[in-house]
Amino acid sequence: MTLGVPAWSRSARVRLTVLYSTLLFALAALVVGGLYLGLSLSLRDEPLSQGAAIRATVPVNDGGDQVERTFVEAAAFERQVNEHTLRNLRRFSIGALLGLFGISLALGWVIAGRVLAPIARITTVAQEIQASQLSRRIGLRGPDDELRRLADTFDSMLERLDEAFASQRRFVADASHELRTPLAIIQTNLELALSETETPDGSRDEAAVVIDRALRRMTRLTDDLLALARLESPEMVHEPFPARELVEESRAEFASVAAARAIELDAIAPERLELDGDREALRRALANLLDNALRHTPTGSKVTISVQAAAAGILLEVTDEGPGLDAAEQEKVFERFWRADGARGRNGGGSGLGLAIVKRIAEAHGGSVSISSNPGEGATFALELPVRQMPLRGTG
Amino acid sequence: MRVLVVEDEQDLADAIARGLRREGYAVDVSHAGDDALVKASTYPYDLICLDLNLPRLDGREVCRRIRGADRRDGLSQPRILMLSARSGLDDRVDGLDDGADDYLVKPFELSELAARVRALLRRPGEAADGRLSVGALELDPARHVATFGGELLNLTPKEFSLLRYFMSRPGAALSEFDLLTHVWDENANPLTRTVRVTVMTLRRKLAAAGGRAQPVETVPGVGYRLRDEA
Repeated sequence: MTLGVPAWSRSARVRLTVLYSTLLFALAALVVGGLYLGLSLSLRDEPLSQGAAIRATVPVNDGGDQVERTFVEAAAFERQVNEHTLRNLRRFSIGALLGLFGISLALGWVIAGRVLAPIARITTVAQEIQASQLSRRIGLRGPDDELRRLADTFDSMLERLDEAFASQRRFVADASHELRTPLAIIQTNLELALSETETPDGSRDEAAVVIDRALRRMTRLTDDLLALARLESPEMVHEPFPARELVEESRAEFASVAAARAIELDAIAPERLELDGDREALRRALANLLDNALRHTPTGSKVTISVQAAAAGILLEVTDEGPGLDAAEQEKVFERFWRADGARGRNGGGSGLGLAIVKRIAEAHGGSVSISSNPGEGATFALELPVRQMPLRGTG
Repeated sequence: MRVLVVEDEQDLADAIARGLRREGYAVDVSHAGDDALVKASTYPYDLICLDLNLPRLDGREVCRRIRGADRRDGLSQPRILMLSARSGLDDRVDGLDDGADDYLVKPFELSELAARVRALLRRPGEAADGRLSVGALELDPARHVATFGGELLNLTPKEFSLLRYFMSRPGAALSEFDLLTHVWDENANPLTRTVRVTVMTLRRKLAAAGGRAQPVETVPGVGYRLRDEA
């Protein structure tokens, strides 16, 4: 800790000023000291005359008056003059040095203030910024120097933060929007059921069914929201496992749902094809694709799961015979909470997050998900995973 | 009073419609924006409950088009109550700027929705709680009670709605068609004598109460009228 350091010395401006002035003072003192030393040495070494010294009292006959004069030795006189000069020099030098120090302190203070002004601005802006208004920018002008680069870096960091917060806000707004609708259904139906004292038979049962449906929807939505949030944290486990197992598991999971609507659920998965990734996440991705396909494909049609080796890795495809999507819809299909018009309302059932989750899982594995479809001709969702394809040796 | 509920969530639309019908409104339901627009230009709705998030044509666009429509056909502008799960300030401001008269955020209580609907349909000079009074007739829509000369009238929901419509337009001659389009919803069959029958039963109940002069009189060749000083 800065124990015993006075507060004023914690200002960079003061420190810079003192440091520069002291350095200037020291340099100037060195120069002046050198000059003084050199001068004093040369004055001592070279007396101007080496002539004989006369010391006598000479009677001067000048109109009868006798004046006594003292003759000083020339060398001594010169020495005295030199000493006097040196003394003057010393005095002026010290005065000049002190003056210089004072002026340099004043100038240094002004200059340091000017140089440090951008930092003061950065500090002010940073203090003003709160998470709620990240739109503030420093926007420092002036030469492209270190401070400008610092300010620009700060600005671009704010930009990224702003975007992140905005996307977070959008997500929260979307999620609350999606949660409010089933809440409204529950609330209005409960209110009706409770307020009708003499309800016709079956009306309460009907309300219960509606509320149950809304609750299931909220549960599914909450599950999906949590799944999406969990995907944001890097907890993926990467392990190799046979692709066929995944496909068979998923097929078994959806067999009864498919059978209930007489939908044929086909799986094409060659052996010896390995996936490399988070098994649970990939199972969820495939399940979401299947759930989507089964929801949109008509009764009595076919849904196909296929796994194959592709140029970039492994291609996992789910094909349905549903109504398909046009180009505009295909662009939006992976957005959160987007649903095809026909998939809304009572029978829609989806949370609107399923395909967004698939996309996140694909991206977390360094892969991608795409859709190819024509209106009226069904749709194929392709999950492409960049994994190494390894023949399984010695097993199976 | 005829109301259109536009809401893509069928479960919610049904609940709102049931709640409003119980209050004595004739309620139609629509699940999509384009369909709502067609209905709004066909029937003389007094109020439209409009959800924002709709398939095919979103609620804001529906609202703008209803407000922008040329009402040459004699249909008066309906009041618009927007329903939305978007609660942000901007959303509410935008909704009102698009021409909505009120904005209600989901989830809401039916009693609040009903109160707002009453407030929006309140006419100038009407009592704040929506109570109507014409001569010896008194009607309280919130409590669903009607009295004639202080005597309680035991009315069916349709008769109640009919009386309410008469009382909101005292002295005006109303044709059977007027009554059909404002008091009955789209499920009413215009070919049956449902209006005439309901007016008849209402008049019978009014006559039975207190033995005063019949307030609902026939206007030959036009329809019916509720006497101002009934």
